[in-house]
Amino acid sequence: MNYHFIGKKRPFLIIMLLALMWTSCKVEQVAPVAESNKDLTGTWKVIQATRNGTNLIPLFDFTQFSITFNGTASTYTLNNPIPFIELVNGKYTLDNPKYPFTITFTAAGGQPVPTAFNYPIIDGSRQIIMTFSPGCPQNTYVFTLTKSN
Amino acid sequence: MKVRLHIKGKNLWRLCTLIVLCIVLSCCYTIIASVDQPATAVVGSNVNITVNVNNSCNSSGTAHFVFGFLTPVGWNTAKNAKITYSSSKGNGNMVLIPSTVIAPNSNGVNWTTYMMNFFGLAGNLIADVQWTAYESDVPINYNNGDKITGTVNITFSNIGADGNPTLVKLAYVVANDQNGFTFDGNDGDSSPTSEYYNELITPCFQLTGGNGDLVDFCNPQLTTVNPPKSLDNDIVTLTFNNNVTPTALAGASAVYLCAIATLNDGTKVTVCNPSTTTMLTETTATSGLYQLTFWPHKFFGLTASQTVVSMTYFITDQTGKTQVGYGGGTSPFTYSFKCT
Repeated sequence: MNYHFIGKKRPFLIIMLLALMWTSCKVEQVAPVAESNKDLTGTWKVIQATRNGTNLIPLFDFTQFSITFNGTASTYTLNNPIPFIELVNGKYTLDNPKYPFTITFTAAGGQPVPTAFNYPIIDGSRQIIMTFSPGCPQNTYVFTLTKSN
Repeated sequence: MKVRLHIKGKNLWRLCTLIVLCIVLSCCYTIIASVDQPATAVVGSNVNITVNVNNSCNSSGTAHFVFGFLTPVGWNTAKNAKITYSSSKGNGNMVLIPSTVIAPNSNGVNWTTYMMNFFGLAGNLIADVQWTAYESDVPINYNNGDKITGTVNITFSNIGADGNPTLVKLAYVVANDQNGFTFDGNDGDSSPTSEYYNELITPCFQLTGGNGDLVDFCNPQLTTVNPPKSLDNDIVTLTFNNNVTPTALAGASAVYLCAIATLNDGTKVTVCNPSTTTMLTETTATSGLYQLTFWPHKFFGLTASQTVVSMTYFITDQTGKTQVGYGGGTSPFTYSFKCT
């Protein structure tokens, strides 16, 4: 083997190796996906309901009740009201449009009523889970709603 | 070929094992020897209760003494009960355990939830009682072989703060903040119990007077309303138990609610027509339990400004002519819509 040749070319080889190493490492640009605003627009119906942990679905008729959100006007409309956060139509706001944890209902002529709010995707569809007390404060209701249209 | 297992730091392992054993065995068995409480009291009065406790320790250690007290929710025990302890290890105050403190061996819940999960309603029939959890203000040092005697002294001011005459089984729990509600299974040794906790349920305590409705936690009732405390904007479930006592509705195929509501403006609204709206549905065939879940505000057809203050009611047959009232008699049942 011609060691003399390798010896003479060593600086060149080292530079080439460094150049290869330099160019092989590149910063990967990861573009974060922007979280979208949560749009509640549509009509939602109750699919689960508990009172102090007791399942109310077999006991009470929830089928006639629905709530329609209009995201553009930030209004809600109650259809065939039942004990809920509000009993009168009005406006609503989310504490954070991208990551909401609280929804505030303000009935026409009433005071704002904030309520714990979850917005999970279950079995491929959005659900709204709200916790509230329409009567005595020690009685806690949890409603799970899903879009009906 | 024998393989010898060489563990480096053998003494260290032995020490660790000893420490673990000490932690596991470091405890006192405890038992409520007796409770001195009156059989009756008047709503709004002050009541003194003494709980006598014995402890038997099988090692040395330190722990807070834990005490649980089951009372009706409406009594607001955390506010109205002042509790102290006196013992052969010293005297002091029992202080409320913050709800943020997780109880040991409880699967991650706080003491009051742990007590409710473990001991339940203590024989009471209405789920409107609660456990209130206290601990000694200072940790108590104990030694192997200690026999500690002590008393928990409860001074209950304004008992029955909700104003309701009441029949209830008061219950007491003692434990320590190291073991929770566990036991070692060594029954029959020199200790009075193999458990590091103890519960004592007292006979029915009667609270008389007050201007509210009688709340009977002890005896089965012909009708119950769930939630026990509700307003007319709650969804309430009225249950008629046709098994409690023979009534004129024995064997009825369907029963109905006949109710008169008293409103906030003093007017009365009557709903007394057997229909699908007023029908109580039997939970299962031949169960004898009939239920109607309804929204009182809508049931009585009220306007937005009207509220129901109270209602009197009968359970009837399909003709409406056979009516069953309180105790199976001719007086109506009563229910007040209030939160306390």
